[in-house]
Amino acid sequence: MLSEKQEWLSQAADNHALTAEQLSELLQQPDLQETVQRYQLAGAVLRNEAESVLPLDFADNLASMLEQEPTYQLQNSSSLLQKMKNGLLQAANAEWFKPAAHGAIAASVALVAVFGVQQYQQPLEQQLSAPTPLLQTRPVAGFATPVSLSQTSVENRFEAQEQQAMLEQQQRLQALLQAHRQQIRVSETQTNKTSTQEKREQ
Amino acid sequence: MMKWLFGICSMVVLCCSQPASAEETGWALFDKVQQSVKQHNFDVSYVVLKGGQAETYRWLHGRSGDKEIEHLIPMYADGVDIVRRSDKVYYLLSERPSLVTQSSSIKELPPLLFQSPEKIRSLYDAVAGSSSLMDGRSAQLLRLSAIDDNRHHYWLWVDVQTGFPLRIDTLSEQHPNNKNRALEIWQVTHLRITPELPDTLAQLLEIELPALTPPVVAKPASQPHQLSWLPKGFSISDDPLLVPQLQPDVLSYWLLSDGLHQVSVFVQNSHQLPTQAYRDGATTIYVQADAKQDVTVIGPISIETAKRLAAAVH
Repeated sequence: MLSEKQEWLSQAADNHALTAEQLSELLQQPDLQETVQRYQLAGAVLRNEAESVLPLDFADNLASMLEQEPTYQLQNSSSLLQKMKNGLLQAANAEWFKPAAHGAIAASVALVAVFGVQQYQQPLEQQLSAPTPLLQTRPVAGFATPVSLSQTSVENRFEAQEQQAMLEQQQRLQALLQAHRQQIRVSETQTNKTSTQEKREQ
Repeated sequence: MMKWLFGICSMVVLCCSQPASAEETGWALFDKVQQSVKQHNFDVSYVVLKGGQAETYRWLHGRSGDKEIEHLIPMYADGVDIVRRSDKVYYLLSERPSLVTQSSSIKELPPLLFQSPEKIRSLYDAVAGSSSLMDGRSAQLLRLSAIDDNRHHYWLWVDVQTGFPLRIDTLSEQHPNNKNRALEIWQVTHLRITPELPDTLAQLLEIELPALTPPVVAKPASQPHQLSWLPKGFSISDDPLLVPQLQPDVLSYWLLSDGLHQVSVFVQNSHQLPTQAYRDGATTIYVQADAKQDVTVIGPISIETAKRLAAAVH
Protein backbone atom coordinates (compact mmCIF):
# COMPACT_ATOMS: atom_id res chain seq x y z
CA MET A 1 0.00 0.00 0.00
CA LEU A 2 2.72 2.37 1.03
CA SER A 3 4.89 1.59 -1.98
CA GLU A 4 1.90 1.97 -4.28
CA LYS A 5 1.17 5.35 -2.79
CA GLN A 6 4.77 6.41 -3.07
CA GLU A 7 4.87 5.30 -6.67
CA TRP A 8 2.12 7.61 -7.89
CA LEU A 9 3.48 10.35 -5.67
CA SER A 10 6.87 9.93 -7.23
CA GLN A 11 5.30 9.97 -10.68
CA ALA A 12 3.44 13.14 -9.74
CA ALA A 13 6.74 14.69 -8.77
CA ASP A 14 8.00 13.83 -12.27
CA ASN A 15 5.10 15.70 -13.83
CA HIS A 16 2.98 12.64 -14.58
CA ALA A 17 -0.76 13.22 -14.78
CA LEU A 18 -2.86 12.47 -11.70
CA THR A 19 -6.35 11.07 -11.59
CA ALA A 20 -9.04 13.12 -9.94
CA GLU A 21 -9.14 10.83 -6.89
CA GLN A 22 -5.37 11.04 -6.43
CA LEU A 23 -5.46 14.78 -6.70
CA SER A 24 -8.21 15.18 -4.11
CA GLU A 25 -6.35 12.77 -1.82
CA LEU A 26 -3.19 14.83 -2.21
CA LEU A 27 -5.01 18.03 -1.47
CA GLN A 28 -6.62 16.61 1.64
CA GLN A 29 -3.63 14.90 3.26
CA PRO A 30 -0.81 17.15 4.47
CA ASP A 31 1.61 14.21 4.93
CA LEU A 32 1.26 13.35 1.21
CA GLN A 33 1.94 16.99 0.29
CA GLU A 34 5.03 16.91 2.44
CA THR A 35 6.18 13.76 0.66
CA VAL A 36 5.75 15.38 -2.75
CA GLN A 37 7.66 18.39 -1.53
CA ARG A 38 10.48 16.12 -0.36
CA TYR A 39 10.54 14.34 -3.72
CA GLN A 40 10.71 17.68 -5.48
CA LEU A 41 13.55 18.75 -3.20
CA ALA A 42 15.44 15.50 -3.80
CA GLY A 43 14.96 15.90 -7.57
CA ALA A 44 16.11 19.49 -7.43
CA VAL A 45 19.23 18.53 -5.48
CA LEU A 46 20.00 15.79 -8.01
CA ARG A 47 19.58 18.33 -10.83
CA ASN A 48 21.89 20.77 -9.01
CA GLU A 49 19.04 23.22 -8.46
CA ALA A 50 19.30 23.14 -4.71
CA GLU A 51 19.96 26.84 -4.43
CA SER A 52 16.74 27.84 -6.08
CA VAL A 53 14.61 25.64 -3.85
CA LEU A 54 12.81 27.51 -1.17
CA PRO A 55 13.07 26.28 2.43
CA LEU A 56 10.25 23.96 3.45
CA ASP A 57 8.82 26.34 5.99
CA PHE A 58 8.96 29.37 3.66
CA ALA A 59 5.18 29.80 3.48
CA ASP A 60 4.84 29.54 7.25
CA ASN A 61 7.63 32.07 7.80
CA LEU A 62 6.05 34.52 5.41
CA ALA A 63 2.66 34.12 7.05
CA SER A 64 4.14 34.81 10.48
CA MET A 65 6.06 37.82 9.14
CA LEU A 66 2.85 39.19 7.68
CA GLU A 67 1.16 38.77 11.03
CA GLN A 68 3.92 40.72 12.73
CA GLU A 69 3.66 43.56 10.22
CA PRO A 70 2.13 46.72 11.78
CA THR A 71 -1.11 47.99 10.24
CA TYR A 72 -0.75 51.13 8.13
CA GLN A 73 -3.50 53.71 7.84
CA LEU A 74 -3.56 54.58 4.18
CA GLN A 75 -5.55 57.67 3.23
CA ASN A 76 -7.10 57.60 -0.15
CA SER A 77 -7.53 61.30 -0.82
CA SER A 78 -6.76 62.88 -4.15
CA SER A 79 -4.38 65.64 -3.15
CA LEU A 80 -3.63 68.80 -5.06
CA LEU A 81 -0.34 67.27 -6.14
CA GLN A 82 -2.20 64.29 -7.55
CA LYS A 83 -4.57 66.54 -9.44
CA MET A 84 -1.68 68.52 -10.88
CA LYS A 85 -0.04 65.31 -11.94
CA ASN A 86 -3.23 64.20 -13.62
CA GLY A 87 -3.47 67.55 -15.38
CA LEU A 88 0.05 67.18 -16.71
CA LEU A 89 -0.62 63.62 -17.81
CA GLN A 90 -3.68 64.83 -19.64
CA ALA A 91 -1.62 67.51 -21.33
CA ALA A 92 0.99 64.98 -22.35
CA ASN A 93 -1.69 62.78 -23.88
CA ALA A 94 -3.54 65.61 -25.57
CA GLU A 95 -3.54 65.80 -29.34
CA TRP A 96 -1.71 69.12 -29.59
CA PHE A 97 1.18 67.97 -27.48
CA LYS A 98 2.41 65.30 -29.88
CA PRO A 99 2.97 67.57 -32.89
CA ALA A 100 4.39 70.14 -30.48
CA ALA A 101 6.91 67.66 -29.14
CA HIS A 102 7.79 66.51 -32.64
CA GLY A 103 8.12 70.11 -33.74
CA ALA A 104 10.37 70.92 -30.81
CA ILE A 105 12.69 68.06 -31.66
CA ALA A 106 12.77 68.97 -35.35
CA ALA A 107 13.36 72.61 -34.55
CA SER A 108 16.21 71.85 -32.20
CA VAL A 109 17.82 69.64 -34.84
CA ALA A 110 17.47 72.47 -37.38
CA LEU A 111 18.90 74.90 -34.87
CA VAL A 112 21.96 72.76 -34.29
CA ALA A 113 22.46 72.25 -38.03
CA VAL A 114 22.09 75.93 -38.84
CA PHE A 115 24.24 77.25 -36.08
CA GLY A 116 26.83 74.64 -36.70
CA VAL A 117 27.06 75.83 -40.29
CA GLN A 118 27.00 79.49 -39.34
CA GLN A 119 29.78 79.17 -36.85
CA TYR A 120 31.88 77.31 -39.33
CA GLN A 121 31.37 79.92 -42.00
CA GLN A 122 31.74 83.08 -39.95
CA PRO A 123 35.24 84.48 -39.85
CA LEU A 124 36.58 84.69 -36.31
CA GLU A 125 36.78 88.45 -36.32
CA GLN A 126 33.13 88.82 -37.18
CA GLN A 127 32.24 86.31 -34.52
CA LEU A 128 34.01 88.36 -31.91
CA SER A 129 32.52 91.68 -32.88
CA ALA A 130 28.91 90.55 -33.41
CA PRO A 131 26.89 91.03 -30.22
CA THR A 132 25.12 87.89 -29.05
CA PRO A 133 21.36 88.18 -28.98
CA LEU A 134 19.78 88.29 -25.57
CA LEU A 135 17.32 85.49 -26.07
CA GLN A 136 18.00 83.36 -29.08
CA THR A 137 14.73 82.01 -30.34
CA ARG A 138 14.44 79.42 -33.05
CA PRO A 139 15.23 80.19 -36.67
CA VAL A 140 12.58 81.81 -38.78
CA ALA A 141 11.79 79.10 -41.28
CA GLY A 142 13.02 75.80 -42.66
CA PHE A 143 16.63 75.93 -43.64
CA ALA A 144 19.13 75.22 -46.36
CA THR A 145 21.33 72.19 -45.93
CA PRO A 146 25.09 72.59 -45.58
CA VAL A 147 26.98 72.92 -48.84
CA SER A 148 29.02 69.90 -49.89
CA LEU A 149 32.52 70.65 -51.13
CA SER A 150 32.86 67.58 -53.34
CA GLN A 151 30.28 68.72 -55.92
CA THR A 152 31.90 70.50 -58.82
CA SER A 153 29.46 70.80 -61.74
CA VAL A 154 28.44 74.31 -62.78
CA GLU A 155 24.79 73.74 -61.96
CA ASN A 156 25.67 72.58 -58.49
CA ARG A 157 27.94 75.54 -58.00
CA PHE A 158 25.03 77.87 -58.78
CA GLU A 159 22.85 75.94 -56.40
CA ALA A 160 25.49 76.22 -53.73
CA GLN A 161 25.77 79.97 -54.24
CA GLU A 162 22.02 80.31 -54.04
CA GLN A 163 21.95 78.30 -50.85
CA GLN A 164 24.70 80.42 -49.39
CA ALA A 165 22.80 83.59 -50.26
CA MET A 166 19.62 82.21 -48.69
CA LEU A 167 21.51 81.27 -45.57
CA GLU A 168 22.96 84.76 -45.30
CA GLN A 169 19.49 86.19 -45.80
CA GLN A 170 18.14 84.01 -42.98
CA GLN A 171 20.95 85.22 -40.76
CA ARG A 172 20.18 88.84 -41.58
CA LEU A 173 16.47 88.37 -40.90
CA GLN A 174 17.26 86.59 -37.66
CA ALA A 175 19.39 89.57 -36.63
CA LEU A 176 16.60 92.00 -37.56
CA LEU A 177 14.07 89.94 -35.63
CA GLN A 178 16.37 90.00 -32.60
CA ALA A 179 16.79 93.75 -33.00
CA HIS A 180 13.01 94.16 -33.18
CA ARG A 181 12.56 92.12 -29.99
CA GLN A 182 15.34 94.02 -28.22
CA GLN A 183 13.70 97.27 -29.24
CA ILE A 184 10.40 96.13 -27.73
CA ARG A 185 12.17 95.13 -24.50
CA VAL A 186 13.72 98.55 -24.02
CA SER A 187 11.00 100.66 -25.61
CA GLU A 188 9.09 101.43 -22.42
CA THR A 189 12.26 102.86 -20.94
CA GLN A 190 12.19 105.34 -23.77
CA THR A 191 8.54 106.24 -23.48
CA ASN A 192 8.97 106.70 -19.74
CA LYS A 193 11.97 108.86 -20.34
CA THR A 194 10.22 111.04 -22.86
CA SER A 195 7.18 111.41 -20.63
CA THR A 196 9.35 112.48 -17.67
CA GLN A 197 11.18 114.89 -19.94
CA GLU A 198 7.87 116.34 -21.03
CA LYS A 199 6.85 116.76 -17.42
CA ARG A 200 10.10 118.55 -16.64
CA GLU A 201 9.62 120.86 -19.57
CA GLN A 202 6.14 121.70 -18.36
CA MET B 1 -53.88 95.29 -28.57
CA MET B 2 -52.02 96.76 -25.63
CA LYS B 3 -50.55 93.36 -24.87
CA TRP B 4 -49.17 93.11 -28.41
CA LEU B 5 -47.77 96.60 -28.28
CA PHE B 6 -46.10 95.88 -24.96
CA GLY B 7 -44.69 92.64 -26.34
CA ILE B 8 -43.22 94.32 -29.41
CA CYS B 9 -41.77 97.14 -27.32
CA SER B 10 -40.06 94.75 -24.92
CA MET B 11 -38.69 92.73 -27.85
CA VAL B 12 -37.17 95.87 -29.34
CA VAL B 13 -35.67 96.89 -25.99
CA LEU B 14 -34.25 93.40 -25.49
CA CYS B 15 -32.71 93.31 -28.97
CA CYS B 16 -31.07 96.69 -28.49
CA SER B 17 -29.70 96.01 -25.04
CA GLN B 18 -28.41 92.52 -25.81
CA PRO B 19 -25.23 93.41 -27.79
CA ALA B 20 -24.27 96.17 -25.39
CA SER B 21 -24.60 93.92 -22.37
CA ALA B 22 -22.77 91.04 -24.10
CA GLU B 23 -19.93 93.45 -24.83
CA GLU B 24 -19.88 94.62 -21.22
CA THR B 25 -19.84 91.00 -19.94
CA GLY B 26 -16.88 90.42 -22.23
CA TRP B 27 -14.96 93.39 -20.90
CA ALA B 28 -15.81 92.49 -17.31
CA LEU B 29 -14.34 89.05 -17.94
CA PHE B 30 -11.27 90.65 -19.52
CA ASP B 31 -10.79 92.86 -16.45
CA LYS B 32 -10.96 89.73 -14.33
CA VAL B 33 -8.18 88.16 -16.44
CA GLN B 34 -5.95 91.21 -16.05
CA GLN B 35 -6.59 91.30 -12.31
CA SER B 36 -5.82 87.60 -11.86
CA VAL B 37 -2.35 87.80 -13.44
CA LYS B 38 -1.56 90.82 -11.25
CA GLN B 39 -3.04 89.78 -7.92
CA HIS B 40 -2.57 86.04 -7.46
CA ASN B 41 0.47 84.13 -6.26
CA PHE B 42 0.89 81.55 -8.96
CA ASP B 43 3.23 79.02 -10.55
CA VAL B 44 2.40 78.38 -14.18
CA SER B 45 3.99 76.43 -17.00
CA TYR B 46 2.99 77.32 -20.52
CA VAL B 47 3.93 76.60 -24.12
CA VAL B 48 3.89 78.91 -27.10
CA LEU B 49 3.09 76.99 -30.26
CA LYS B 50 4.15 78.64 -33.50
CA GLY B 51 3.35 76.40 -36.42
CA GLY B 52 5.39 73.28 -35.75
CA GLN B 53 7.58 74.85 -33.09
CA ALA B 54 7.03 74.95 -29.37
CA GLU B 55 8.66 77.12 -26.73
CA THR B 56 8.11 76.28 -23.08
CA TYR B 57 8.20 78.70 -20.19
CA ARG B 58 7.72 78.64 -16.45
CA TRP B 59 6.10 81.73 -15.01
CA LEU B 60 5.90 82.58 -11.32
CA HIS B 61 4.26 85.58 -9.78
CA GLY B 62 3.77 86.79 -6.26
CA ARG B 63 2.58 89.75 -4.31
CA SER B 64 3.61 90.89 -0.86
CA GLY B 65 1.78 94.01 0.22
CA ASP B 66 2.31 96.55 -2.55
CA LYS B 67 5.45 94.81 -3.86
CA GLU B 68 5.16 92.62 -6.90
CA ILE B 69 7.59 89.95 -8.04
CA GLU B 70 7.50 88.01 -11.27
CA HIS B 71 9.92 85.38 -12.56
CA LEU B 72 9.87 84.04 -16.11
CA ILE B 73 12.13 81.17 -17.12
CA PRO B 74 12.38 80.32 -20.83
CA MET B 75 12.94 76.56 -20.63
CA TYR B 76 14.32 76.32 -24.17
CA ALA B 77 17.16 78.79 -23.51
CA ASP B 78 19.87 77.90 -21.04
CA GLY B 79 20.90 80.31 -18.33
CA VAL B 80 18.30 83.01 -18.96
CA ASP B 81 16.16 84.31 -16.11
CA ILE B 82 13.77 87.20 -16.44
CA VAL B 83 12.73 88.85 -13.20
CA ARG B 84 10.39 91.77 -12.70
CA ARG B 85 10.34 93.61 -9.41
CA SER B 86 7.55 96.19 -9.51
CA ASP B 87 8.55 98.47 -12.40
CA LYS B 88 12.00 97.09 -13.25
CA VAL B 89 12.70 94.10 -15.46
CA TYR B 90 15.99 92.21 -15.10
CA TYR B 91 17.29 89.93 -17.83
CA LEU B 92 19.80 87.85 -15.91
CA LEU B 93 22.13 85.94 -18.19
CA SER B 94 24.81 83.52 -17.22
CA GLU B 95 28.31 84.65 -18.24
CA ARG B 96 27.04 87.83 -19.82
CA PRO B 97 26.13 91.22 -18.38
CA SER B 98 22.48 91.56 -17.40
CA LEU B 99 20.06 93.93 -19.02
CA VAL B 100 17.83 95.98 -16.76
CA THR B 101 14.90 97.90 -18.17
CA GLN B 102 12.15 100.06 -16.79
CA SER B 103 8.86 98.37 -17.48
CA SER B 104 5.74 97.35 -15.62
CA SER B 105 5.52 94.08 -17.52
CA ILE B 106 7.80 91.42 -18.98
CA LYS B 107 7.68 91.81 -22.74
CA GLU B 108 8.00 88.09 -23.37
CA LEU B 109 4.56 87.55 -21.80
CA PRO B 110 1.42 88.25 -23.86
CA PRO B 111 1.19 92.07 -23.82
CA LEU B 112 -2.58 91.79 -23.95
CA LEU B 113 -2.61 90.76 -20.29
CA PHE B 114 -0.86 93.91 -19.10
CA GLN B 115 -1.82 96.82 -21.33
CA SER B 116 -4.35 99.33 -20.05
CA PRO B 117 -7.94 98.16 -20.67
CA GLU B 118 -8.82 101.56 -22.18
CA LYS B 119 -6.16 101.10 -24.85
CA ILE B 120 -7.37 97.60 -25.68
CA ARG B 121 -11.00 98.75 -25.77
CA SER B 122 -10.05 101.30 -28.39
CA LEU B 123 -8.65 98.55 -30.63
CA TYR B 124 -10.88 95.55 -29.92
CA ASP B 125 -14.46 94.40 -29.39
CA ALA B 126 -14.92 91.84 -26.62
CA VAL B 127 -17.52 89.10 -26.83
CA ALA B 128 -17.91 86.40 -24.20
CA GLY B 129 -18.41 82.99 -25.80
CA SER B 130 -19.40 79.55 -24.68
CA SER B 131 -17.94 77.53 -21.83
CA SER B 132 -15.93 74.38 -22.31
CA LEU B 133 -13.79 72.02 -20.29
CA MET B 134 -10.04 72.53 -20.53
CA ASP B 135 -7.69 70.22 -18.62
CA GLY B 136 -10.37 69.49 -16.08
CA ARG B 137 -11.16 73.17 -15.54
CA SER B 138 -14.22 74.98 -16.70
CA ALA B 139 -13.10 77.61 -19.23
CA GLN B 140 -15.05 80.46 -20.73
CA LEU B 141 -14.20 81.69 -24.21
CA LEU B 142 -13.58 85.41 -24.65
CA ARG B 143 -13.19 86.69 -28.19
CA LEU B 144 -11.32 89.94 -28.78
CA SER B 145 -12.08 90.94 -32.36
CA ALA B 146 -9.92 93.63 -33.92
CA ILE B 147 -11.95 96.66 -34.95
CA ASP B 148 -9.46 97.34 -37.71
CA ASP B 149 -8.29 94.79 -40.30
CA ASN B 150 -4.60 95.51 -39.66
CA ARG B 151 -4.54 93.64 -36.38
CA HIS B 152 -4.83 90.01 -35.39
CA HIS B 153 -7.73 88.74 -33.30
CA TYR B 154 -7.34 87.09 -29.91
CA TRP B 155 -9.37 84.27 -28.47
CA LEU B 156 -8.90 83.73 -24.76
CA TRP B 157 -10.07 80.78 -22.69
CA VAL B 158 -10.47 81.95 -19.13
CA ASP B 159 -10.63 79.78 -16.01
CA VAL B 160 -14.11 80.44 -14.62
CA GLN B 161 -13.02 79.90 -11.02
CA THR B 162 -9.94 82.14 -10.87
CA GLY B 163 -10.16 84.29 -14.00
CA PHE B 164 -6.72 83.06 -15.05
CA PRO B 165 -6.08 82.79 -18.82
CA LEU B 166 -5.69 79.12 -19.81
CA ARG B 167 -5.16 79.58 -23.52
CA ILE B 168 -4.74 82.49 -25.94
CA ASP B 169 -5.02 81.98 -29.69
CA THR B 170 -3.83 84.64 -32.11
CA LEU B 171 -5.81 84.50 -35.34
CA SER B 172 -5.37 86.38 -38.58
CA GLU B 173 -9.04 85.95 -39.47
CA GLN B 174 -12.01 84.49 -37.70
CA HIS B 175 -14.99 82.66 -39.05
CA PRO B 176 -17.76 81.86 -36.60
CA ASN B 177 -18.56 78.50 -38.19
CA ASN B 178 -15.30 77.22 -39.64
CA LYS B 179 -12.52 75.80 -37.59
CA ASN B 180 -10.03 78.63 -37.16
CA ARG B 181 -6.33 78.07 -37.62
CA ALA B 182 -4.34 79.97 -35.03
CA LEU B 183 -1.04 81.62 -35.99
CA GLU B 184 0.15 81.25 -32.45
CA ILE B 185 -1.22 79.40 -29.44
CA TRP B 186 -0.30 80.30 -25.89
CA GLN B 187 -1.36 77.41 -23.70
CA VAL B 188 -1.08 76.82 -19.97
CA THR B 189 -0.01 73.25 -19.18
CA HIS B 190 0.14 73.55 -15.42
CA LEU B 191 -1.42 76.09 -13.10
CA ARG B 192 -1.13 76.38 -9.35
CA ILE B 193 -2.45 79.33 -7.40
CA THR B 194 -1.44 79.59 -3.76
CA PRO B 195 -2.70 81.90 -1.02
CA GLU B 196 0.83 82.52 0.31
CA LEU B 197 3.86 83.97 -1.44
CA PRO B 198 6.28 81.05 -2.06
CA ASP B 199 9.65 81.28 -0.27
CA THR B 200 11.69 81.37 -3.47
CA LEU B 201 9.81 84.44 -4.68
CA ALA B 202 10.04 86.07 -1.24
CA GLN B 203 13.82 85.64 -1.42
CA LEU B 204 13.89 87.03 -4.95
CA LEU B 205 12.05 90.06 -3.63
CA GLU B 206 14.84 90.75 -1.16
CA ILE B 207 18.09 89.88 -2.99
CA GLU B 208 20.24 92.54 -4.53
CA LEU B 209 19.88 92.84 -8.30
CA PRO B 210 21.94 94.84 -10.80
CA ALA B 211 21.28 98.54 -11.29
CA LEU B 212 19.30 99.94 -14.22
CA THR B 213 21.24 99.75 -17.48
CA PRO B 214 21.54 103.23 -18.93
CA PRO B 215 19.84 103.05 -22.34
CA VAL B 216 22.28 103.16 -25.22
CA VAL B 217 20.85 106.08 -27.10
CA ALA B 218 22.47 106.42 -30.45
CA LYS B 219 20.15 108.77 -32.15
CA PRO B 220 20.75 108.51 -35.85
CA ALA B 221 21.47 111.56 -37.89
CA SER B 222 18.59 112.49 -40.17
CA GLN B 223 17.36 109.36 -41.89
CA PRO B 224 17.75 109.23 -45.65
CA HIS B 225 14.27 107.77 -46.14
CA GLN B 226 10.70 108.84 -45.44
CA LEU B 227 7.72 106.73 -44.34
CA SER B 228 4.59 108.13 -45.96
CA TRP B 229 1.87 105.80 -44.63
CA LEU B 230 1.02 104.24 -41.28
CA PRO B 231 -1.56 101.56 -40.48
CA LYS B 232 -4.59 102.96 -38.64
CA GLY B 233 -3.96 103.49 -34.94
CA PHE B 234 -0.17 103.25 -35.23
CA SER B 235 2.27 106.09 -34.65
CA ILE B 236 6.02 106.40 -35.01
CA SER B 237 7.98 106.22 -31.80
CA ASP B 238 9.99 109.44 -31.49
CA ASP B 239 13.26 108.16 -30.26
CA PRO B 240 13.91 104.51 -30.98
CA LEU B 241 17.11 103.01 -29.63
CA LEU B 242 19.58 101.81 -32.15
CA VAL B 243 20.34 98.26 -31.21
CA PRO B 244 24.07 97.53 -31.55
CA GLN B 245 23.48 94.58 -33.90
CA LEU B 246 22.35 96.91 -36.65
CA GLN B 247 24.52 99.98 -36.61
CA PRO B 248 26.61 99.62 -39.72
CA ASP B 249 23.93 97.87 -41.68
CA VAL B 250 20.67 99.78 -41.34
CA LEU B 251 20.16 102.97 -43.31
CA SER B 252 16.83 103.97 -41.78
CA TYR B 253 14.75 102.59 -38.97
CA TRP B 254 11.28 103.25 -37.60
CA LEU B 255 9.48 101.76 -34.62
CA LEU B 256 5.71 101.97 -34.88
CA SER B 257 3.36 101.31 -32.00
CA ASP B 258 -0.39 101.25 -31.40
CA GLY B 259 0.09 100.91 -27.65
CA LEU B 260 -0.25 97.13 -27.76
CA HIS B 261 1.75 95.96 -30.77
CA GLN B 262 5.10 97.11 -32.14
CA VAL B 263 6.21 97.06 -35.75
CA SER B 264 9.77 97.66 -36.93
CA VAL B 265 10.66 98.95 -40.38
CA PHE B 266 14.28 98.59 -41.49
CA VAL B 267 15.88 99.90 -44.67
CA GLN B 268 19.12 98.26 -45.80
CA ASN B 269 21.21 98.22 -48.93
CA SER B 270 19.95 95.76 -51.49
CA HIS B 271 21.15 92.19 -51.23
CA GLN B 272 19.86 91.29 -54.70
CA LEU B 273 17.40 88.69 -53.44
CA PRO B 274 13.71 88.27 -54.29
CA THR B 275 10.91 89.72 -52.17
CA GLN B 276 10.05 87.29 -49.38
CA ALA B 277 7.61 86.85 -46.54
CA TYR B 278 8.05 84.71 -43.44
CA ARG B 279 6.05 84.11 -40.35
CA ASP B 280 7.33 83.50 -36.84
CA GLY B 281 4.10 82.65 -35.05
CA ALA B 282 2.00 85.79 -35.16
CA THR B 283 4.96 87.92 -36.26
CA THR B 284 5.15 88.67 -39.96
CA ILE B 285 8.56 89.22 -41.51
CA TYR B 286 8.27 90.82 -44.91
CA VAL B 287 11.24 91.75 -47.08
CA GLN B 288 10.56 93.97 -50.07
CA ALA B 289 13.60 93.89 -52.31
CA ASP B 290 14.49 96.02 -55.30
CA ALA B 291 17.69 97.01 -57.06
CA LYS B 292 18.40 99.88 -54.66
CA GLN B 293 17.30 98.78 -51.21
CA ASP B 294 15.70 96.10 -49.03
CA VAL B 295 12.83 97.16 -46.79
CA THR B 296 12.09 94.70 -43.97
CA VAL B 297 8.90 94.98 -41.95
CA ILE B 298 8.63 92.94 -38.75
CA GLY B 299 5.58 92.90 -36.52
CA PRO B 300 2.26 91.25 -35.65
CA ILE B 301 0.40 92.52 -38.71
CA SER B 302 -1.01 90.91 -41.85
CA ILE B 303 1.23 90.43 -44.87
CA GLU B 304 -0.93 92.89 -46.85
CA THR B 305 -0.37 95.60 -44.23
CA ALA B 306 3.36 94.84 -44.15
CA LYS B 307 3.45 95.07 -47.94
CA ARG B 308 1.72 98.43 -47.90
CA LEU B 309 4.02 99.70 -45.19
CA ALA B 310 7.13 98.61 -47.11
CA ALA B 311 5.81 100.32 -50.22
CA ALA B 312 5.41 103.55 -48.24
CA VAL B 313 9.18 103.93 -47.78
CA HIS B 314 10.66 106.53 -50.11
